[in-house]
Amino acid sequence: MNKPLPDPIPASTDEAGIRWSAEYAAQIGADKAVENRSGIPIKPLYTPLDVDPSRFDADVGFPGQAPYTRGIYATMHRGRTWTQRQLIGLGTPPAYNARLRDILGQGATAVSLIPCNSVFRGYDMDEVDAELLGTCGVVCNSAGHMATCLSGVDLAATSCAMNDPSPFTLLAFMLATAKRRGVDWRSISGTSNQSDYLSHFVANHMFFRLALPGARRILTDHIAWCNENVPRWNPLSVVGQHMQQAGATPAEALAFTLASALQYADDCVAAGMSPDAFLPRFTFFFDISISFFEEIAKFRAGRRLWARIVRERYGAQDPRSWRFKFHAQTSGVDLTRQQPLNNIARVTAQAIAGIFGGLQSMHTDAYDEALSCPTQFGARIAVATQNILREEAHLTDVIDPLGGSYYVESLTDAIEEKVVAILAEVEAAGGMYRAVESGLVQRRVGESALRFQQRIDDGEQTVVGVNAYQVEEEASARPALARPDAAEMRAHLADFAAWKAQRSAAAVENSLASLARSAQGDGGNMFGAVVAAAEAGCTHGEICGTLRRELGFGHPLIVV
Amino acid sequence: MKRIDGSAGAGKTPGAKDRIAAIRAGHRATIARAISEIEHGLPAADALSAALRPFAGHAHVVGITGAPGAGKSTLIDALVREQVARGKRIAVVAIDPSSPITGGAVLGDRIRMGEAGMAEAVFIRSLASRGHAGGLAKPARRIVDLLDAAGFGLVVVETVGAGQSDVDIAALADTSVVVCPPGLGDGVQAIKAGILEIADVLVVSKNDQPHAERTKRDLDDMLHLRARREGWRVRVLRTTATTGEGIPALADALAAHAAETGIGRRLRASANVTGDAMVAKLRGFSERDPCQQHNAIVFVDAGPGHATLSMRVGKPHLNFNGKCHGGAIFCLADSAFGIASNSHGVVAVGIDTHTTFQVAASEGDVLTARATEVSRNAKLGVYRVDVTRQDGAAVSAFTGTVHVTRRPHETDAVA
Amino acid sequence: MDIRPKVLITKIGLDGHDRGSRIVAAHLRDAGMEVVYTPPWQEIPTVVKLALEEDVDVIGISSLATDHLIVPKLMAALREAGLDEVGVIVGGIVPDEDEKMLLDAGVARVFHPGAPLDDISRFVTEITARVRAARFPA
Repeated sequence: MNKPLPDPIPASTDEAGIRWSAEYAAQIGADKAVENRSGIPIKPLYTPLDVDPSRFDADVGFPGQAPYTRGIYATMHRGRTWTQRQLIGLGTPPAYNARLRDILGQGATAVSLIPCNSVFRGYDMDEVDAELLGTCGVVCNSAGHMATCLSGVDLAATSCAMNDPSPFTLLAFMLATAKRRGVDWRSISGTSNQSDYLSHFVANHMFFRLALPGARRILTDHIAWCNENVPRWNPLSVVGQHMQQAGATPAEALAFTLASALQYADDCVAAGMSPDAFLPRFTFFFDISISFFEEIAKFRAGRRLWARIVRERYGAQDPRSWRFKFHAQTSGVDLTRQQPLNNIARVTAQAIAGIFGGLQSMHTDAYDEALSCPTQFGARIAVATQNILREEAHLTDVIDPLGGSYYVESLTDAIEEKVVAILAEVEAAGGMYRAVESGLVQRRVGESALRFQQRIDDGEQTVVGVNAYQVEEEASARPALARPDAAEMRAHLADFAAWKAQRSAAAVENSLASLARSAQGDGGNMFGAVVAAAEAGCTHGEICGTLRRELGFGHPLIVV
Repeated sequence: MKRIDGSAGAGKTPGAKDRIAAIRAGHRATIARAISEIEHGLPAADALSAALRPFAGHAHVVGITGAPGAGKSTLIDALVREQVARGKRIAVVAIDPSSPITGGAVLGDRIRMGEAGMAEAVFIRSLASRGHAGGLAKPARRIVDLLDAAGFGLVVVETVGAGQSDVDIAALADTSVVVCPPGLGDGVQAIKAGILEIADVLVVSKNDQPHAERTKRDLDDMLHLRARREGWRVRVLRTTATTGEGIPALADALAAHAAETGIGRRLRASANVTGDAMVAKLRGFSERDPCQQHNAIVFVDAGPGHATLSMRVGKPHLNFNGKCHGGAIFCLADSAFGIASNSHGVVAVGIDTHTTFQVAASEGDVLTARATEVSRNAKLGVYRVDVTRQDGAAVSAFTGTVHVTRRPHETDAVA
Repeated sequence: MDIRPKVLITKIGLDGHDRGSRIVAAHLRDAGMEVVYTPPWQEIPTVVKLALEEDVDVIGISSLATDHLIVPKLMAALREAGLDEVGVIVGGIVPDEDEKMLLDAGVARVFHPGAPLDDISRFVTEITARVRAARFPA
């Protein structure tokens, strides 16, 4: 690296400071430049000179008040800790339900449903390679399947996150289930976790289901419909996690996530919605990498920026609109296949960063994620990690415990500065939709991913067990593989075929035709038509297929 | 999930003896491997190209050029789908720039040609411009000839339209299409500077974007200043590849251009393609030689001290045993000997030859004679000619000696 | 002969996470190779047709979420198309039990998370030499 060393000597007139500078210079030898993942140079010591005390009220303040740097609620984790939401999904609906009840019994407090990749692709289980069914998520294709998945779960009392990219069929199936059980939709809470189609376009290409303009339309309809019919539901989660997992630095991930949120808010405003009607239901979802202080600063900067921008840009009046609510997941990219039990230590460090960062809800990765989809054993340790941190480690005694740290405050400012610069770049490109359409974002994220990998390959970044401290391993340290039971999956397929054959073909046909008309622009709400189709017995594949025909198939834009 | 059958036309690679037949039958694996041989400059590629040359001349070759981001790939995807719907077999050669530093390349055009590319009637090959010392013009031409001989009715060559090499490649085309994205005057100016000159059809892509109308007007205005090209009035079309708008009109325009100005331009004027007057002159010797014409001998390539000719064995070449007559083989070898020895600007006359016949040739075989110079001084030159069959079998070994005169060729004197 | 490897980097199956395949594609390009890159979710017949027409030396399959389970199907389809000699490598999250199954199916090597990029390009060069020797005997 040819970057100049940051000046290690603070320009202090204080005698002790000067003495420290001299001793540091004498003892350190060849000082190495240190830079975090976001490319911010890190000094060896931070002092009062790195923060401006007169800016305390404007930049730091108190929790639950502007500028919101220290937290979005007055009580934060001292009051209610975070929601423990473990992402699970495996096999058939009965298998999922069993695992869900196990996790809820272990201390998890909310549901998070991750569907099979065939669902992510927009297909029913009888349209894909059977070998792949249920290996990474639950095979849920209908309202009936959802009823089984959520059997025994009180839908009015449990927050449910649906990992459900547009057209949000999983929520539609859940609402159909609720209606059948006599649960009022107005009591249902939770989040449409994968609704951020732009991040899919950049990172996972889930947009392949629908072309960008179609995905854009249905998200806006989804937000409007949920605000009216399921008012406690968060219809949007803007997913910085996708960006960061795809290779964005923490600062880039935050910037692109905020830029996406602004795009969605602009679209809602253009559709005639009032900012204070939809902003309180915007949520965010971030990655927590192992770059400890950088992650904490990222979350603090995010809160401050969001609160400021929504007031300046949209004139939002309702304090609930200003709150930067986020779920976070420990980063799978940092986990290693080598010496997999070490991942428990990594996840612990990541989780602490998330807690100090002030998250509202958390998923901790299982230690075996770099080996396979997580096993039940791994998932239990992940839940226990959260329990230990919450109840044994005294991490939640003090709100924003690192607030006021010269380093953390200075780093929060530096991240904010980076983010503001990227936001300006995106704005100049015509907003996030255009920046993604043109590949600007993909290019940046790809470059950062390659740079990060090269730093590891060059040994600049140590990864224990990978480029340092390798040991001979015994295969017995590896967990047993979790795969769905083949016989159960065959039975699930057979049941699906039998059920399809006996439902009312006319009802299915009519509701798909009405869905098609709403996609053609008959003025009706497209997501409303999806919910009606789900209630009429249409499958996920049928709904996605209809919309794909009407709205176009998403073409990938790949930037290498 | 949609299943697309892409493995048809595959199967085991045939033995060398059947290669020409396999290529002509459109056998995908054989075609692909032969293209690799041409790309890698393997010696076998010379014989193969020579053997295939007689079968070329049926394809309509369309060059599509435009700056990166102009929308070429999306346009080609739509055009290919249209042509498939019209029952055509299509080959696409997509040329991507390599990094000048590492030589590496990402051949990304596959990305947007995904859907059309899966059709059975379509063959797509990406080529990196990479370290071809002499540019891509020669391998590209051979690849086009090969695809032509393989029976693809339409061969599309896509280039980024930057640099002389691309202009040379574009010269292979019977019809040149230049793709211009909508933009302000600047973009049009940039095109005007170079590749606009070669366009037979101009396409304003992304017609759904602002400035499309204006771009078309600018191009129309510019064309008023230009002379007609071989009697063809250059057309400006507007397309939106994502919706298919304007694509049938483009296909119609291509067909109209082919009907008016003909196909196989590169075969008629190959000297212009390589820019080598010497080749043209030596080709002229071959084409003006009544004996070579009578025996259906085809000129392939020649230069100082070497010449390659080929001949498809027909009925008139057969002896009473039904095999190729030794005299016909000798005639082919002697013709190559004659051109190679006359490649230094002065008349050379044969004074002695020896020949052997090792393997028989049958009707339908394609024989290639490659003459090379063994030695030459002011008075005498010695040449060796190898005649091979399409499967690589050595048919005949020939040696010949010429007396070198000081007399220039008559064509030079006239010029 | 120019022995610049020609490599197809692709993803089959259902998962769309392509960070790994993009990094590998960019690295191989920077190592001077010619890379044919596709988006995720390719059908097996598409991969076969691509590999056949482009005459690639090596196919790299990226799998993060069990999609490697259908790699044996791909291997069978390649053999059926006469592409026996093409080198197939798999990169991503592959459990030990499955790695053996892939090697038995004819996969040349499995690269796990953390594999240095240089190891990948070195191996690609190595198998390319082998593939070329089989295809174009001197």
